[in-house]
Amino acid sequence: MATRAASEVYKKKLLDRFSDALIDSIAGFMNKIRPGWKVRNQARVDEWKLMFYAFNRSPLGIAGAILVLAFLLLAIIGPWVAPLSYDTSLALCNQQAYLAPPKTTVTIPGGCEALGVKPGNYTLYLGGDSFGRDLGSRMLFGARTSFVVMIFVLLVGPWIGIGLGLISGYFGGSTDELIMRTTDIFLVFPGLILAIAFSAVLPSRISGFLASHHYVSLFFLHLFSLKIQHEGSLASLLSVIIALWIVWWPGYARLVRGMVLSEKENTYVEAARALGIPSRSILVRHIMPNISGPILVYLSLDSGGVILTEAGLSFLGVGAVPPIADWGRIIYDGSQYFPNAWWLIFFPGLAIFLTVLGFNLLGDVLRDVLDPRTRRSIEFKLKKEIEVGEEQ
Amino acid sequence: MRCKDPIIVVKDLYVYFYTYAGIVQAINSVSLEICRGETYCLVGETGCGKSVTSKALTRLIKPPGRIEKGEIYYYPEPGKKIDIRKLSEEELRELRGYEISYIFQDPSTSLDPLYTLGYQVAETMAFHKVVHNIKDGIRKAVVVLKNAMMPDAETRVKAYPHELSGGLKQRGAIGISLANQPRLLIADEPTTALDVTIQAQIMDFLRKLKEKEGLTLLLITHNMGLVAEMCDTVAVMYAGEIVEEAPVEILFKNPMHPYTKGLLKAVPVHVGKKVTLQSIPGTVPNLIFPPPGCRFHPRCSYKFDPCDKKRPPMIEVEENHKVACWLYEKKG
Repeated sequence: MATRAASEVYKKKLLDRFSDALIDSIAGFMNKIRPGWKVRNQARVDEWKLMFYAFNRSPLGIAGAILVLAFLLLAIIGPWVAPLSYDTSLALCNQQAYLAPPKTTVTIPGGCEALGVKPGNYTLYLGGDSFGRDLGSRMLFGARTSFVVMIFVLLVGPWIGIGLGLISGYFGGSTDELIMRTTDIFLVFPGLILAIAFSAVLPSRISGFLASHHYVSLFFLHLFSLKIQHEGSLASLLSVIIALWIVWWPGYARLVRGMVLSEKENTYVEAARALGIPSRSILVRHIMPNISGPILVYLSLDSGGVILTEAGLSFLGVGAVPPIADWGRIIYDGSQYFPNAWWLIFFPGLAIFLTVLGFNLLGDVLRDVLDPRTRRSIEFKLKKEIEVGEEQ
Repeated sequence: MRCKDPIIVVKDLYVYFYTYAGIVQAINSVSLEICRGETYCLVGETGCGKSVTSKALTRLIKPPGRIEKGEIYYYPEPGKKIDIRKLSEEELRELRGYEISYIFQDPSTSLDPLYTLGYQVAETMAFHKVVHNIKDGIRKAVVVLKNAMMPDAETRVKAYPHELSGGLKQRGAIGISLANQPRLLIADEPTTALDVTIQAQIMDFLRKLKEKEGLTLLLITHNMGLVAEMCDTVAVMYAGEIVEEAPVEILFKNPMHPYTKGLLKAVPVHVGKKVTLQSIPGTVPNLIFPPPGCRFHPRCSYKFDPCDKKRPPMIEVEENHKVACWLYEKKG
């Protein structure tokens, strides 16, 4: 029998065609900028397609991916499509907006231009808060806040841990002891408590730094989509990010150290040493790529964790300060009007829940898909399905 | 001195492993000398310290192992002496893979699964500054792999390890080791994981390579057939000690140490009438508590008085034939 490409063996579903098209277009693009890429990397492209087939057959994974994509989409375009700004207090013009239940239509008469609101009817689909601000709009801005915090935390925190874990696992001995005992010290404190401590102390220093580095604060103002007059609140958000860096690395250091310990026993690491490859290159080029699968899964699972912790910090009053829109902060502010104004807690709570659920589902399924051993079993199941299908 | 022009000289080497169970005395006073251009074989059963000896030559011993004592000299050219034990980590790194190269037992794990063969060949060349960068190296890798008898080297350069068979992988691994034209090649059971036909091909290739490039080969094996076919000089190791060393014809014709005799009797003979294979009674001793005196004496059928008390010295019984056994101690 002629060998067929693995991608031809399976019966394709609609999603498979979509993912195939996506991968093919990426491959086509790579081929254009580097001629011959496609031929050289055919095996890799086929493997990617298989990963997507396995992924496409997991309803939970698709649900997770949809939730995550929805969150990312809202976080990116949210501030632009929000009907009202995060700090527009309609209650100043029309008392009706005060704790308005969902789907209330508020009429704004002329003469309120100072608020930046044109006269007309505004429907508060998710209700209004105690300042008459539109909850829906604030949640869109809040998605951006969570997203930016998540990205910045994950860009640095885990990598401190990954770097230390690589060094600790590979070199062993006293280096290992020193790094791991330090990690233990950090793990002794509950992460949230430590983060509270840091984010309570840091803001004053950060605001000093921001005052002298105006371009930095402008950059973050745009990222968080905040108005320039709220520059002073930026320090509290940045201190949350830095506090989370400090508490986020120990888990990664342990995880990576463990993986390096088992990976470095492979002969190819010894062979690389015997061939005179420097330790740094062995770590970066050989060990790191070989353990990247589990790290990716852990990062994905952790994205939800960062959002949850950040919301938790804001809820406890050490994160975002008013009037910044933040899911945790909205719940905190709304809690005093519960249960009469239930929407102030329900909708942001639901948003946090769905986002974290999405990241966890995605991470779980990614683990199955990225791990070749479990992926093979999914493929095997697929093959069975096809054989049964062909017999009929 | 056995050789006029040695390439490596090891004197009185001790390697210990500090484990939780105790100190494993893996290598105990090993001395050897490899002449330039010869094939030197280390034979012995599993766990006798062959691989540890070979790794100690470039200080590849990892913690908890440690070189306790001994001298290791490397002669890149006749008369030029380098003390391996005094080199810095960086100088050693430059030596490994450039002057002294290794081939490992299992080719399926000695290649990084994530990189193409060409990349892995290119990497060692780039780090030893034989080529300017990886890209140049990949271009040169075709030639290197062709020299390593890789069929269809142009396409194999782009192949990942999982796309190659065991034999091809080992050829690739050999290609990587030979990329920088080392002077000494240490082959640690290079054919154990391969099937017989490929074994023959690889061995044939190594022999041809030796003739062509004039490289020195240290072959580690437990296959006596291979020893007879390939080697010039054989050293038999037992429990971390060299018990007998001789040119290959002499060793097979006239084995002297009881362990060597036992080892040779345990080799199946393919022709002639059926003879029951003999095994050496007992097992390899625990090296945390090695037997006193001669380490072989608990299994030795010739055991007599001094064996369990004093360690036998290396005795030169005839020219180039040395044996560590009390049986051959000159009387008087």
